[in-house]
Amino acid sequence: MVQRFTGTRVKRVEDPRLLTGRSRFVDDISLPGMLYAAFVRSTVPHARIASIDAAAAREMPGIVAVYVGADLPEHANPLMLQPVEGLKTPAFYALAHEKVRFVGEPVAMVVAESRYQAEDACDSIYVEYEPLPPVTDMEAAIRPDSAVLFDELGDNVMYHSEAKYGDLDAAFAGADRVITEKISQHRYANVPMEGHAGLSSFDPSMGELVHYSSHQGPHMLRFGLSFLLRLPLNNVRVLCGDVGGAFGSKGYFHREEIMTAFASMRLGKPVKWAADRNENLLAGGQTREESAVVEAAVKNDGTLLGLRVKLIVDQGAYQCVPYPTIVFPLLARALMPSAYRITNFEFHITMAATNKAPYIAYRGPWEIETFLRERLWDILAVELGLDPVEIRRKNLWENQELPRPLATGAAILKNLTVRECLDQAVAAIDYPGFRQEQERARAQGRYLGLGISCFMEPAPQPIFGIGFDFVRSETATVQLEPDGGVTVFTAQAPHGQGHETTIAQVCADGMGVSMSQVKVIHGDTRVVPFTNIGTGASRGATMPIGAALGALRIIKDRVLRIAGHMLETAPEDLQIVNGVVSPIGGGDRSVSLFEIAIVAYTAPFTLPPGTDTEMKATYTFDYEGAWAQSCHAALVEVDTGTGKVEIKRYVVVEDCGEPIHPAIVDGQICGGIAQGIGAVLYEKSAYDEDGQYLAGTFMDYLLPTSMEVPHIEIHHIIPETDEEIPHHGVGEGGLIGSPACVVNAIEDALRPLGVKIREQYLPPARILELIGSIK
Amino acid sequence: MQKEHSIRLTVNSIHRDASVEARRTLADFLRIDLGLTGTHLGCEHGVCGACTVLVNGEPVRSCLMFAVQADGTEITTVEGVAPGDGNMAPIQEGFWRATSFQCGYCAPGFVIVGEALLRENPDPSEEQIREAISGNLCRCTGYQSIVEGIQRGAKIARGEEA
Repeated sequence: MVQRFTGTRVKRVEDPRLLTGRSRFVDDISLPGMLYAAFVRSTVPHARIASIDAAAAREMPGIVAVYVGADLPEHANPLMLQPVEGLKTPAFYALAHEKVRFVGEPVAMVVAESRYQAEDACDSIYVEYEPLPPVTDMEAAIRPDSAVLFDELGDNVMYHSEAKYGDLDAAFAGADRVITEKISQHRYANVPMEGHAGLSSFDPSMGELVHYSSHQGPHMLRFGLSFLLRLPLNNVRVLCGDVGGAFGSKGYFHREEIMTAFASMRLGKPVKWAADRNENLLAGGQTREESAVVEAAVKNDGTLLGLRVKLIVDQGAYQCVPYPTIVFPLLARALMPSAYRITNFEFHITMAATNKAPYIAYRGPWEIETFLRERLWDILAVELGLDPVEIRRKNLWENQELPRPLATGAAILKNLTVRECLDQAVAAIDYPGFRQEQERARAQGRYLGLGISCFMEPAPQPIFGIGFDFVRSETATVQLEPDGGVTVFTAQAPHGQGHETTIAQVCADGMGVSMSQVKVIHGDTRVVPFTNIGTGASRGATMPIGAALGALRIIKDRVLRIAGHMLETAPEDLQIVNGVVSPIGGGDRSVSLFEIAIVAYTAPFTLPPGTDTEMKATYTFDYEGAWAQSCHAALVEVDTGTGKVEIKRYVVVEDCGEPIHPAIVDGQICGGIAQGIGAVLYEKSAYDEDGQYLAGTFMDYLLPTSMEVPHIEIHHIIPETDEEIPHHGVGEGGLIGSPACVVNAIEDALRPLGVKIREQYLPPARILELIGSIK
Repeated sequence: MQKEHSIRLTVNSIHRDASVEARRTLADFLRIDLGLTGTHLGCEHGVCGACTVLVNGEPVRSCLMFAVQADGTEITTVEGVAPGDGNMAPIQEGFWRATSFQCGYCAPGFVIVGEALLRENPDPSEEQIREAISGNLCRCTGYQSIVEGIQRGAKIARGEEA
């Protein structure tokens, strides 16, 4: 029996170093002569910088250099997005130049012999601001009388478009009712346990920059550093080792990291910066602040005939480079019909600039589509007197109606399992039994509620034709080492997803070797294949595997040809088992991968002329995209005395294809749900009306702990498939489905009190306001 | 220059004499002065627990303690939990088998509080485990796999799982 690694809970390759203190995150690395950076950050939301006085700071012990925005234009390019139709993309420098636009924006950089000294000096730098009116509300920001963030633009409307699909007028004309609601979600943040960090080391004698980063996309960062600091690309090397979580936040050209590289180039010494928690919460990126007016044309039986969504997005002060914020609402537009019969559809997007931290990607960054749609089903069910499960069933596509294109783009809908996920979730949670229990509880003055949400996660993303369809291929290189070991060079940049394990599992099976003979290399731009995205977008189960297996096939073919010559057997009659090549039907002759590799590397002249002995192969995997499909169901109890919400059960039915590593897959789902629970009940990147940031510590920005996240029950649907790579992504879905699910459950619980919920942030005080016990 | 103070302590069974500024945190002393970078900083204000170490056997947040306060103590960091024979400690092995962590940045703190819990209570219930780790934040896992890892570690320590 040959051991198969794929599909099993093998012990992760990464864990021994993570569990014994031998991991290497950026701040764990020290280089000889290394200096430390700290930043002076804006204390005001919107102002002109009148002057910066760093004279005293420069004289303090251990201070090596102080840089301000005015130092940059001579040596560095500003950050600027590639042009996107209809999108305003004002350029900005790594340090604020002339103006500050949010509290926490870096204004000056101090480089010192210790971080303590650098922070001391920051306190002695005096920035004189000429305050401007703060722009804190996205709806006020787009009014003509608002103060303007970028003078050259004239207003704060960064983007507006209206897209129409099908015949909405006919849908509205044929409707029994049109139901209009305004639904919003608040600003929150990724908050990885390790914040952004960079360590730059420039060698002036060679003109070479080596940059260690906590990043999701080392090749893109290399590109960015090269362009921004005017270095040839082949003189820049980016290294990502262990990365302490990202959830979308570490794919950008982070301003502070550009500055460590800038400083290292000026000083010829290594310069390190690692964000502290306050910096992470202030300026590490925030997300998801959006609001929409939704108009639904419905029949009384719950059939949705047409849908109009007018979405407004608060991008904050800047769009981070290189992935513009507008990608996310465009994806929300493309995805919103999901698995439902939504064909008459209109989606408006308005994006406003405000004096807040930049809006960045966060795990399922188009999640607003699921939040709006899955809230809407519950709202419609209440308005029409229907059951929330039945109204979803009524509007979901049946597979016999498919394949057909998604109304909003070229992606093809087929083989949907969302309905099956819903059915299984409803069964798992004992829906009829719960409704009875809910009735009994209500009679006792207890408020139980059930929430459901269904969605499809592009995993990896199919083509939508929205101008960001650049992620459909990925490259890997595989090398058979002279000792017969297999080294895989992946374009992925894992930060918790366990790719050193999952890629090794599949490649071990693909080659016929033990997992211990497979080594996965990532994060070093000198050796890993180029990619313009890295790890993200739920690609990690499909794309690197397709690429690695393609490269492996080339190597395996060459190995078997050499072995065929050595064993005097036709290559197609050979197999590789446990690193040994032998005839498939048995036989007494065999040859090990080590013996084959040694011949290939050192004695190719012993092989027939023309034998391909190159033991390294590169393959690019192209893929049309796939869906992960899911239904979440939550049971909650709301204490109407305290406003506390207890999640009593949480069930997920997930179709992400065949899990490569069941525990890694379930871990992704659980982690995303914990973040969704946090978003609804605990987390808010709060600003006051003057634009001052209020949640700069973990005492103000609350993350859920082990006491707040319930046990999560996960069921998998694994459809029969003939796909080459049957593994689909699963990274983002947990945080796509959970906010809608939890809010639906809370509203369901409070229905006897007539509570309507049209927002996402529901801490105890807000629950008490909604039920009217406090004002 | 800031005035320095002499301290003498034991870290992972090694005696150390050192001279530190009064304001140097124990975490920075361990990480920067001793090169024990296994202890991680997640908030530097005592909430996340990533920097937890054992001081005289008790879990302590090394970001909230000054190195001078550790004078005369015995400290165990994540590097010192394993028995030193090439094997992991049961708590680490339990975490490994349960696929407890993802990015692993917070893992050192959980290893330390898990170790402290198992020393005190070899057979903790799920509720006791959740309580014991409630002062440690993890952003990746939702805690479920960490709870399972401590249960596995307890079994290994009790000899119920080879």
